[in-house]
Amino acid sequence: MAPSAAPVVESPLQSTVENIETNFQPFYVLHKASSRKNSRKSNLCGKSRKRTKLSPTGPNGIENPDAEERDGSQLEHLRMEALELVWSKMETTIKDVLRDTNVKVFDDICRWVFESFAAIRSYGTPSSSSATRPFPTFTRAEYKILFTGLVLTKNMEVVDDLLTFEELGFHLKSHGCHVASLSSQELSAKSSIGGCIRSLLRQLLKVTVDAADMFILASWYREQGYYENPVVVIVEDIERCCGPVLSDFIIMLSEWVVKIPIILIMGVATTIDAPANVLRSNALQQLCPCKFVLGSPAERMEAVVEAVLLRHCCMFSIGHKVAVFLRKYFLNQDGTLTSFIRAMKIACVQHFTTEPLSFMLARLLLEEENMGFQDGNDASFLEVLSKHASDLLSDSRYPLAEGTGNNLGNILSELKRWRKSWSVVVLCLYQVGKFSKVQLLDLLCEALDPQLLKPITSENSSRLQQEKGTSFSSSYELQYQFSSRKDGYIYQVIRKVRDLPAELLHQLLMSWEKITHCVPEIHENVKDLLLAFKLGNGKSSGKDIADLSRRHASRNGLFVKSSKPMMEKAESFLNSLVSEHMRPVECIPFHELICFKDVRKLQLALIGDPRRRIQVDLLEFQKIVKCTCCSENRNSLLPCAHDSTIMYRLAQEHGDLINLHDWFQSFKRVVSHPQAKGNHRTKQCPTPKKRKDKPSVESKSDASIQARFCTAVSELQITGLLRMPSKRRPDYVQRVAFGL
Amino acid sequence: MLPLFVYGGMSVGKTSVILQIFRHLNRPFVYSSCRTCYSLRTLFECILNQLLLHQKDADNGYLSAKRCEKPSDFVNFLREALVKVVKTLQGNPGKLGTKKLTGQEHGHMIYLIFDNLELVRDWDKSSSILPFLFNLHEVLNMNEVGFLFISNTSPDAYYSNMGYLEPIPVYFSEYTEDDLRKIFMRNQTNQEMYSSFLSVVLGPFYRITRQVNELSLTFSSLYKTYCEASDDLNNVPNESSKRTRFSHFQPHIAPALNQIFKISSPLSEVNNLKEAKRKGGSMKFSGCDSSEHLDFHMSTSAKYLLLSAFLASRNPATLDASLFDSTGGTSSRKKRKRPSEKSIEQKEISEQELLMKGPGTFPLERLLAIFQCITSVAEISLEDEQGNVLMESQNEDSELMSDVLLQLSSLCNANFVVKGGSCPLEGSTRYRSTVSEDMALKVARSIKFPLSKYMYRR
Repeated sequence: MAPSAAPVVESPLQSTVENIETNFQPFYVLHKASSRKNSRKSNLCGKSRKRTKLSPTGPNGIENPDAEERDGSQLEHLRMEALELVWSKMETTIKDVLRDTNVKVFDDICRWVFESFAAIRSYGTPSSSSATRPFPTFTRAEYKILFTGLVLTKNMEVVDDLLTFEELGFHLKSHGCHVASLSSQELSAKSSIGGCIRSLLRQLLKVTVDAADMFILASWYREQGYYENPVVVIVEDIERCCGPVLSDFIIMLSEWVVKIPIILIMGVATTIDAPANVLRSNALQQLCPCKFVLGSPAERMEAVVEAVLLRHCCMFSIGHKVAVFLRKYFLNQDGTLTSFIRAMKIACVQHFTTEPLSFMLARLLLEEENMGFQDGNDASFLEVLSKHASDLLSDSRYPLAEGTGNNLGNILSELKRWRKSWSVVVLCLYQVGKFSKVQLLDLLCEALDPQLLKPITSENSSRLQQEKGTSFSSSYELQYQFSSRKDGYIYQVIRKVRDLPAELLHQLLMSWEKITHCVPEIHENVKDLLLAFKLGNGKSSGKDIADLSRRHASRNGLFVKSSKPMMEKAESFLNSLVSEHMRPVECIPFHELICFKDVRKLQLALIGDPRRRIQVDLLEFQKIVKCTCCSENRNSLLPCAHDSTIMYRLAQEHGDLINLHDWFQSFKRVVSHPQAKGNHRTKQCPTPKKRKDKPSVESKSDASIQARFCTAVSELQITGLLRMPSKRRPDYVQRVAFGL
Repeated sequence: MLPLFVYGGMSVGKTSVILQIFRHLNRPFVYSSCRTCYSLRTLFECILNQLLLHQKDADNGYLSAKRCEKPSDFVNFLREALVKVVKTLQGNPGKLGTKKLTGQEHGHMIYLIFDNLELVRDWDKSSSILPFLFNLHEVLNMNEVGFLFISNTSPDAYYSNMGYLEPIPVYFSEYTEDDLRKIFMRNQTNQEMYSSFLSVVLGPFYRITRQVNELSLTFSSLYKTYCEASDDLNNVPNESSKRTRFSHFQPHIAPALNQIFKISSPLSEVNNLKEAKRKGGSMKFSGCDSSEHLDFHMSTSAKYLLLSAFLASRNPATLDASLFDSTGGTSSRKKRKRPSEKSIEQKEISEQELLMKGPGTFPLERLLAIFQCITSVAEISLEDEQGNVLMESQNEDSELMSDVLLQLSSLCNANFVVKGGSCPLEGSTRYRSTVSEDMALKVARSIKFPLSKYMYRR
């Protein structure tokens, strides 16, 4: 056995090296992605050529493996194009939505800036020659205060707001202010005031000066047109700034505010007393604060979700589990919009890479965009798409395909119809939910739950019904209806309609009318409702709806009586809406085309759980390093394995403290004697082994093993699995991670 | 001539008196404030620029006249510049263009004024800079140059037996109540009204601060409310109207005494604010608006982490076992412990100590242990109370736990948890929670966590 062992030892050593080079997963993936991007780009320009090349292979339905392979790569390109199309659309939608949410606050801030500028100006501007004078001009203490806008971002994490402040800067600049922003790094103890002023000068004057001081700023301001525009300094995140530095900076600015009209804008991430906690009192005194509130992350999230998942025309949707996961992740882990957007992007990418037919989304999009007329290029493109699609449809992946036939057009139009009615229903519910503060994400999660789509329980038993449902899968929609959970949000929302006062109900109906515009059959119902509402009111008092609320106040009793049946009507309408049109996406045939369901993948990509990953990879290294020797005998440790793997395996045998000496000894044993550990056969024939191994053992000197040992220990320390020896116990390391 | 050392409290008129004197006597001077000139180099260059009549602007690329970083260079440059200036002063008095160095009838002195000298103590190498500045007049040895130092702190804070002659101290005393009254009565349009206002306000405020700038800021806003309290601003105040006005005005005084800065809202929100004011009485800073719930977003796991940091800082580490016993032994343990504890006096002493020490520090491991305890407890209770937890909750624990360290760093960034410095790889960093109890309770309420159950009190 032993003679054969030696060559085995030698060859895997090389193969592991090779394997590590080629198979080291993270790097490999990164590399691959970038190259794919390139190829995608090159493909974009050579699109038409490839299409023509491909069209002959499309129609031959006969599976020929070679052609299939080529097909696969072609399809991948198509999918990538679709991904680009869809994601760019989503991204622009998100950006627009975010900008819209901030516009109002930005306008407020801008108005306030100019008001305070006017106030500073009204104190009397010093003559321009005195502005650069070093000694202070003496005015009343009120004139030395700094106007300060406190912008409450309402989120402890600042990631989302970096962009917001950048946009605020652009907004103010476009109105003629001189804007400079200071980050928390520039206001740290390390860079001190000099760093702040230098950064101000760099942004305002576009020069870098060695000895930066306020005189430069003053003379620059005089050159810019004295007292024409305010100077706005934005401090993004006051909590992260170094308090003393910021205080000094504020006091210094306040001494100059008569000469340079500086207005501060500070972002406050937590509570409004954060400035009082951070700044010194003499700095606080110089501030004349004014509060502005940005939209809370939950509000922004709702707006984004509504725009992307409900209103957006690109049809991409997520499954129930994914929605639940995203909601939970947002609430529990990381309440930032940035991470939500990232999650959506990951979902998109995953969907388009894994789902063969996902490129059909591009077709849907294109159809949507140039509604009737299609130029030749697009038409041929669509043709190619549908050919591929019909090939793929006959695949066993879509079990329902035979029932409906391969008519792709039908499938797609069906999907589109579903999407419209579904989003209309959810939006209608959301309109009601706004009154009782039900979150859109909660509603969405429930609306996507496929378990809530239950068979109708009529005189037949439900079991029979279910059998029927499975046997006639084609007429499946007729037999099932959406029944909301008794304690769920949808049920709550429907109940809520009953308690709405008349004016709100009117508002609601109006908003419903707007929403349902694209689905005629629902729209008709809403119109009827609205008409009935108007008629009902017309009987009771006048025809004018505009002053409903006043009337409501004056003739309370009468009004309530007359509007009561209206509420019930609205409720029953909503009920029927939910039971008839609410179909969770996962219950729709061919939903795989547009719906991303794989929550595990998303979770892995988003959270990662690196420490666990590291441990698993260390313990099951043979999955990554695919050498023959290690995967054959898993339980024994071979010296060809990576050092840190060996070390970590050995460490598993210890408790939370590992004696370094013992550890080293066992490491040495494993490394220098190939099969000494747990293998009794070596004992049976010691002589040939010794003879064979002697040169290699000698070559590995004690020092080199020790060096390898040290490297491995520090590697384990860096990966966070170990803690180095403390002073109290110099010969022990401590294990930090236990279990998986 | 020996340098003058002018000192006195904040805002007692040191700088303004001196500048007014110079203006009145029409003497040339070079003023440099150690606040605007935040480092040695800027201070030197600022002085030299003024002496050489140099202005930084776009034409000269915003550069100083001379680049000067070392004190020795400064002495040379300064001497050069001063000699030149003094010569011109002697040669043709009254012909210099700028205002600073305008004409001389009385002597040929030039003065260097250093304001806010107390800030120099915080600079690097302040121990060598200060003696250098105090000694400058001897080094230069020019009779035509006078030095003035202005400082908040008394000369004792500077002298360190470094072998220079002590400058002549000049003390500016604080204003008395009468002085303040006279100061504030100046330039008032409605003298009688203002004097009646001062008689109400000055007494209580004088006990708190005597700084004119602080007082004038508060008084200007208070005076507005005082005037609003009366019907007519120009109304001649007689005794009865004074009294009614006082009764209207009195509730505003007490909050203003404690308030450092008042936060206003833009005009669009003013109406809401006014309503809030009406409801909540005075709009005191950190007062009524932050009462009920948390007004910013935090993820749930960050909330739990914040609470566990708060608990770790608050509770003594020895009681962790009894408080977080997963078998629910909290109450029984407490009962058993209470009588068997040492004498009450000793406890009180230790309690006092705890109070004086403030929030304690804790290692990361303890924080994580507590975090795990309270999240597991919270999940159990959540499942019991709410049937409609939409998701399957078997792996919720791991999800809450998943990136705790990330959450911790964002808590640190938000100043809720303070980190003591040490090697990050070592892991022996100690943390301290700076959250107030109110805040912690608010957070606990928002996630329905029974915080008081876990807090150790006497």
